[in-house]
Amino acid sequence: MEGAVTLNIFKFSLIYLLLIIVLIIMKKSKVNQTKLLLIASIRMSVQLVTVGYILTYVFGNPKPIFTVIFLMLMITFSVHRVISSRKDLNRNFKIAIGASLTFSGLFVLIFFVAVVVNKSIFNPQYTIPLAGMIIGNAMTGVNIAIKTFMDDLSKEKIKINTLLNLGVEPKDILKPFANNALETALIPTINSMLGMGIIFLPGMMTGQILSGTLPTTAIMYQIAIMIAICTSVCITVFLSLNLGYKSLYNDRKQFI
Amino acid sequence: MNELLFKASNLIYKANLTYDSIKIKQGKINFIVGESGCGKSTFLKLLNQSINSVSGELLYKGMSIDEYEPIALRREVSLVSADPFLFDESILDNFKTFYSLRQLPMPSSDYINYITDLCSVNVPLDQNASTLSSGERQRVYISIFLSLCPKVILLDEPTSALDEKNSHKIMENIINFCKEKHIDIVVVSHDKNIVEEFCENKIEMIKEF
Repeated sequence: MEGAVTLNIFKFSLIYLLLIIVLIIMKKSKVNQTKLLLIASIRMSVQLVTVGYILTYVFGNPKPIFTVIFLMLMITFSVHRVISSRKDLNRNFKIAIGASLTFSGLFVLIFFVAVVVNKSIFNPQYTIPLAGMIIGNAMTGVNIAIKTFMDDLSKEKIKINTLLNLGVEPKDILKPFANNALETALIPTINSMLGMGIIFLPGMMTGQILSGTLPTTAIMYQIAIMIAICTSVCITVFLSLNLGYKSLYNDRKQFI
Repeated sequence: MNELLFKASNLIYKANLTYDSIKIKQGKINFIVGESGCGKSTFLKLLNQSINSVSGELLYKGMSIDEYEPIALRREVSLVSADPFLFDESILDNFKTFYSLRQLPMPSSDYINYITDLCSVNVPLDQNASTLSSGERQRVYISIFLSLCPKVILLDEPTSALDEKNSHKIMENIINFCKEKHIDIVVVSHDKNIVEEFCENKIEMIKEF
């Protein structure tokens, strides 16, 4: 099997032509997000080009410190993205989310790289791409969970007040909301596991096959990463909500 | 029996919501009146400690309210808010759910019939709560809280969704039930007729600016 063909820069830029079709359809359908599409395309390109050069450098000089810095930046950005998008979270809730995402992301990543693949955690070729997938998906999961949780709380204010007046412990009032948010966050990951291999060939597997890896090896990586993603989403969301909701009431059992 | 049930002195909830001196009497029908926004509902929430004041003194049966364990206090001093909430299930199942949330056994159907009649719930008890009118919901809601027989019941606008005739009848039934069970009662109401008829201790609140 041959490795992936190196793309010629001129031929590569032709792929952007497809976006014109998207733009035309958006204009015709009065989807007023053409500006967003342009910004997204440009941002994506700039971000990936930058990361491409950085990774080339890091792979050429595989020092542990580079891997560590890369991981720290990844975690910082993902935590920032989750907590900056919600103005209704208090400080302790934000800390809970940050700690949960960091802990669960690193735990699953270390287990994957050091135990399953049996490589050093400082090896950038394995750690960086896998960390991206694990932490990125955990971030999306916790984002969905927090949105579900906070939106439900504000929708169900009257119910919550009734239960509080009835003399129910705040933790017993909030727990079902946390459970529901966990379920909502896990469903997309579980659904994509259901469709995997039949409805679509997942991104990582496609990438490995394109670059010449045997499909049998590629599927093992794919199965492993799916389970890793599912686990990191589950742990991140569970810890974020279960540590976080305790910040919503005080020792007088009043909601704050 | 003229002991004070609640006594608030210089109680401050926030800058323009202060209660200088309020005395709620034990064994009397206490009514809190005053224009909208003067802090009547907030005062009831302070009494069951679902919210806290920033300063001042609030006594319940002669002891500072901070000394009471909040969950036990909320079960003893039961606030029936003006916004009723019922689960999307039959009235009977609502009783079951509310009782199980309090870890209490389901009361007998005779008792449920009795208490719902008392609150003029004139619909079959197997009817789903989501199909009830707002007045019916309010009556079911009150009947559930009343059936738990707290020591003190705080009623926030109990007759706001009712016509004059029904309001009078329900208020009378609730008050008789409470007298019989020695339940102390505090009512927030805008209904002048009801206040005139039943009030034994009137607390007037004035809006501050």
